[in-house]
Amino acid sequence: MEIPYIVTPRKDTGLCNSKIAIWLFLASEVMLFGGFFSAYVFLRLGADYPWPERTLPVLPGLINTFVLIGSSVTVVFAWAALKMRDWRKFQIYMGITVFCAVIFMVLKGIEYNVKLNHQAVRLKDYTVMEGHLSYEKDGGQYVLDHNGKKIEENLIFVEASKLTFSTVRFHGPWVDDLLAKAEHKNAKILLDADVSVVSEEGKPAEIIAKAGEVLSKDLLNRIRDSHLAARSHNGALRTASLREEWKEALAENPGKKGWELTSNVNIDAEAITPKLLTETPSVAFKVEPPVALSFKPRDIKEADGQSRLRDDTVVDGKLLASPMVFHNVDAIDFQHLAMKAVKKGVDPIVAIENSWLLQNSPFAKEAWEWHQGEVAKHEAQLIRDYGMDKDGKPKREPTLKERYRIGWKELAKKAEHDGRTKLSTSAALTEEFMGPNYKARGAETFPEFSLPREQIGFAAKFTPAWNTYYALYFTITGLHGLHVIGGALVLAYYMFFGRKMYLSNPEWLANRVEVGGLFWHFVDLVWIFVFPVLYLM
Amino acid sequence: MASSHEEIEKLKRTYLIVFGALLVGTVLTVLVATVPALDIGRHGFDAADCVLGLAIASVKATLVAAVFMHLNHEKKAIYWLFGSSIIAVIFLAGLTALALGDPIFDSFFYSGR
Repeated sequence: MEIPYIVTPRKDTGLCNSKIAIWLFLASEVMLFGGFFSAYVFLRLGADYPWPERTLPVLPGLINTFVLIGSSVTVVFAWAALKMRDWRKFQIYMGITVFCAVIFMVLKGIEYNVKLNHQAVRLKDYTVMEGHLSYEKDGGQYVLDHNGKKIEENLIFVEASKLTFSTVRFHGPWVDDLLAKAEHKNAKILLDADVSVVSEEGKPAEIIAKAGEVLSKDLLNRIRDSHLAARSHNGALRTASLREEWKEALAENPGKKGWELTSNVNIDAEAITPKLLTETPSVAFKVEPPVALSFKPRDIKEADGQSRLRDDTVVDGKLLASPMVFHNVDAIDFQHLAMKAVKKGVDPIVAIENSWLLQNSPFAKEAWEWHQGEVAKHEAQLIRDYGMDKDGKPKREPTLKERYRIGWKELAKKAEHDGRTKLSTSAALTEEFMGPNYKARGAETFPEFSLPREQIGFAAKFTPAWNTYYALYFTITGLHGLHVIGGALVLAYYMFFGRKMYLSNPEWLANRVEVGGLFWHFVDLVWIFVFPVLYLM
Repeated sequence: MASSHEEIEKLKRTYLIVFGALLVGTVLTVLVATVPALDIGRHGFDAADCVLGLAIASVKATLVAAVFMHLNHEKKAIYWLFGSSIIAVIFLAGLTALALGDPIFDSFFYSGR
């Protein structure tokens, strides 16, 4: 079947069908991205925490803007080449466009990677620390998890004496993990007591698992199967009993509505109890001898005495010291603490000086004192540059971020000022993309720090979990990135597989490229707003 | 729509001029956001910077839409389609302003302190 109006325009619209279609699609895209920008404005104005203003590295964003603008030009040049029936030039311009898309995504990948590996933690007094965590070591070697990945020093340790598994919710890989950890510490996880169940009506109870049996997934599966069979049997018994009761109630009270009889209808517990089978919703194991087991913070709700895992396993035992260990602290941020202090009517400087971090970290205290000096110099400079207003107040003052945040660049500046490190231009340029260079700058610039668990209010990587800014950053840039990939695939298809169409109907291909190009320009158009909004404001 | 070689060559020159304008606009956006001497309004980011940044972005977006996307000489149907979507976005985004009176809003960081 021939597709109509692919080259010649329709009389009513004056347009080819494909062009109307792409503009309809772009109209829906305007509303989609418009919704996200609207959400950004709403969340920013309503944020109850200091908005991370101008927090992303500008250089990768700027280069990506140049790359997308450049690709917008090459895609129209590719279209122009087709119009002038020059296939070779079309391929060259389209090739550059696709290459630009690859550069864009690589830079975006670097940016994401930096964020996803960067740790942030908000202390209970609202001080925020940022940096990179160190990794668990055992005998000088890195400890690896079951995926062969290094484990960050951010674990909860419990001296476990007893583990109670939910027979229907236990997570198999965690059982294996617990067994491996216990074995590594020469401990055994053994069934605490016989599991005795009635598995058939009218028969006596039988032991399906004996006390002292070693924990295994097979054992848990066996108990779970018995539990589920009993639950199903007992459920059917209760339903049948209830049905019988309803029948009798309705027969004894003709003409009455169901809702009037509900209080009279009850399961005859006495009658069905002898027929019930034994349900085993949980099963307890003892750890002999009690040993320290580690859990990822997101997997456990820890408490001294009894902690609970996400699969409802209960861990009995003493909660041990479980610090979060930073291999490098690269920012100390008091903005949120200052905000809370002002709300309470407390001088923010007094609140900061009494913060847990300044009381417990000589490095943080020294950095804060140095930072105060820098702020004072900056304040004086602003007065010199812009003067005072008629009320005698400085026309320009340092921002909240400048006052209360000691970022990695400030820490690096301090180290350079103290004569400790000085980076080459190329290394400094790399830092603009990848963040602080810990190796070159050393532990004196970005020190280690062990943060007690009880001081942690909230911790996350720079992911959507950290705050609404990052949630929107990943949503908007992620969706935009998917558009870049989709657009590049379509344009690459024209470049690699368009030759046949070019030879048979070049105008049709030119129209297709124009439509693909319209989408590509829209991708560029969205980025024109994303860049200033997310990177510069 | 351009059809002759001369018209297309002319269009290509226009594309290059717009390309230059977009590069200049981008550099300008970064400069006004990062160079203190070019900072308007209060020190640091404020409403004036927001308006200026979005104004430059809007000019750039208009150039892309008008020249690269050929909206400067399109058919009426396209104007209706695209225009109505923009109006819908402005209207719906405006609705968020109704929530500004919510108690979750905290004026501390916008008080100019």
